[in-house]
Amino acid sequence: MRRLRNGSNIAVTIVVYVLGLLVLFPFFWMARSSFMSNIEINAYPPPILPRVWHLENYPYALTVFPFARYFLNTLTITVPSICGALMTATFAAYAFARLDFPLKRLWFTLVIGSMLMPGAVTIIPIFLGWTFLGLSNSYVPLIVPAFLGGGAFNIFLIRQFLMTIPRDLDEAATIDGAGSVRILFTILVPLITPVLLAVGMFTFILYWNDLLGPLIYISDQNRQTISQALAAFRSGYGTDWKSMMAAASMSILPCVALYLIGQRYFVEGIVLSGLKS
Amino acid sequence: MNRKLYARGALAAYVYLAPALVGLFLLTLVPVAAVIVISLTKWSVLQPPRFLGIANYLNIFSTDFYFVHSVLATLYFAIGAVVVGIVYSFTVATMLNRRIPGRGFWRSAFFVPYVLPAVATAVVWSWMYETDFGVFNFFVNSLGFHKVPWLQKSAYAVPSLIIMTVWGVGNLIVIFMAGLQNVPRSFLEAVEIDGGNAWHKFRHVTVPMMTPVIFFNFIISVITNLQVFVPAYALTSGGPGDSTLFMVFLIYREGFMRNNMGYACALSLVFFVFIALLTLLIFSTSRKWIFYAGE
Repeated sequence: MRRLRNGSNIAVTIVVYVLGLLVLFPFFWMARSSFMSNIEINAYPPPILPRVWHLENYPYALTVFPFARYFLNTLTITVPSICGALMTATFAAYAFARLDFPLKRLWFTLVIGSMLMPGAVTIIPIFLGWTFLGLSNSYVPLIVPAFLGGGAFNIFLIRQFLMTIPRDLDEAATIDGAGSVRILFTILVPLITPVLLAVGMFTFILYWNDLLGPLIYISDQNRQTISQALAAFRSGYGTDWKSMMAAASMSILPCVALYLIGQRYFVEGIVLSGLKS
Repeated sequence: MNRKLYARGALAAYVYLAPALVGLFLLTLVPVAAVIVISLTKWSVLQPPRFLGIANYLNIFSTDFYFVHSVLATLYFAIGAVVVGIVYSFTVATMLNRRIPGRGFWRSAFFVPYVLPAVATAVVWSWMYETDFGVFNFFVNSLGFHKVPWLQKSAYAVPSLIIMTVWGVGNLIVIFMAGLQNVPRSFLEAVEIDGGNAWHKFRHVTVPMMTPVIFFNFIISVITNLQVFVPAYALTSGGPGDSTLFMVFLIYREGFMRNNMGYACALSLVFFVFIALLTLLIFSTSRKWIFYAGE
């Protein structure tokens, strides 16, 4: 029996390693291609590694794909959005988890129900609304929604986490004369830091990687986000694969770095969203 | 509690909720109402809207062959990506749940595609899918088969995009793994005592205990994949031959590339009703196959 189990574990290990290498393969292929000349990239059969490492592909790619500017543009949208989402989602989650008020069930159902609502359905009226306010060619339409609740999913996540914290803590504080603002900021927020970090990261990923939003609202080339510029780059420089691979590598790097730093919170956040409903 | 205190508490609650409720109204409820109204007009933004009645809808369901192509393409993609994605992520999660060397590393490896910008990964995949010099066709060719026109022929385009999408379902893997850790050990041991093998444990304990998690992953993946946009925009522009003309891309094209706001709104509403009905259907059948330990 024991031998059998060891045997099957070895088989599973082999499958995981092979499959895992396949999953990592696109990263390897991207990195390797980003250091080749275009002639070598188009060689057939494809060489595994560049014969000469063309490090200058990166500075060259920067001249046609000004990454720093796109990076700053994307950051300009993402940072305020994260702050807005964290703040307003926490407020809403606190009300749903801890306070008692008329129509609570109705609002909760509507807010959570809006999570199932496909974003694509409402883009046109929202776009027309911003156009009438004269704000359609700016970052405002991309940032403001984060300050209006920060997304139903985030509210739900924070609420779930708040529900696991015993009410005795707030009640004790109430008896000591603390108001709800004090309770939220000095007692609850420190306790829910892990979920706030997870929400921060989800919001980062959502805004950093978004394509449809910037496409609709930003037409000025100097104000494009990374994703948007990369899509434009692909249609504009369709055959310059080495620069495209360099640009893709640069675009991926911030996300990989953030993931490696915060993977524990990512995983916790995802687990929380799936299991405690 | 006394009444005055309750009223004060309720007021405070609404202050906390205000941003979310404003968002609910301005970003969901009002826009949905507006979609309905705008869908009854012809509107190019440059000119004032003209009332058309239900003409846009008649057009969608009778003469617009793009709509038919789009629905078929979207369903094909979504069903493929959901089924393959769920099977793949469940299998990987089950394997990663075993004690194998380097488990932490591989968990991150399988997850990381999920956090990357979809456009960047699409660009990389499109290079690997390239017909003449791409690495996939090198493998295909080495195995003695003809080169496959991955993104160039309509028969291959959707399956190619499905493979690329399934590569990025790290979130489903993580949720499945968390679920697997909650399957009670005592149940698995009971099967062993009764002489059952690994398959029996999997089929009669793991799968039934996991049905709520499978349901959750199923729903989020249906909703996400029906809204596929990035590959259609960044890689295929809806082609070849409308084979990847997914709904959201069609709405985007009508609204923002062709300025047919009224028509795009009618499409949006049809899309919305379609997703809503599908979600309802899934929820209503869920009672039959989900096992909740608490009931």
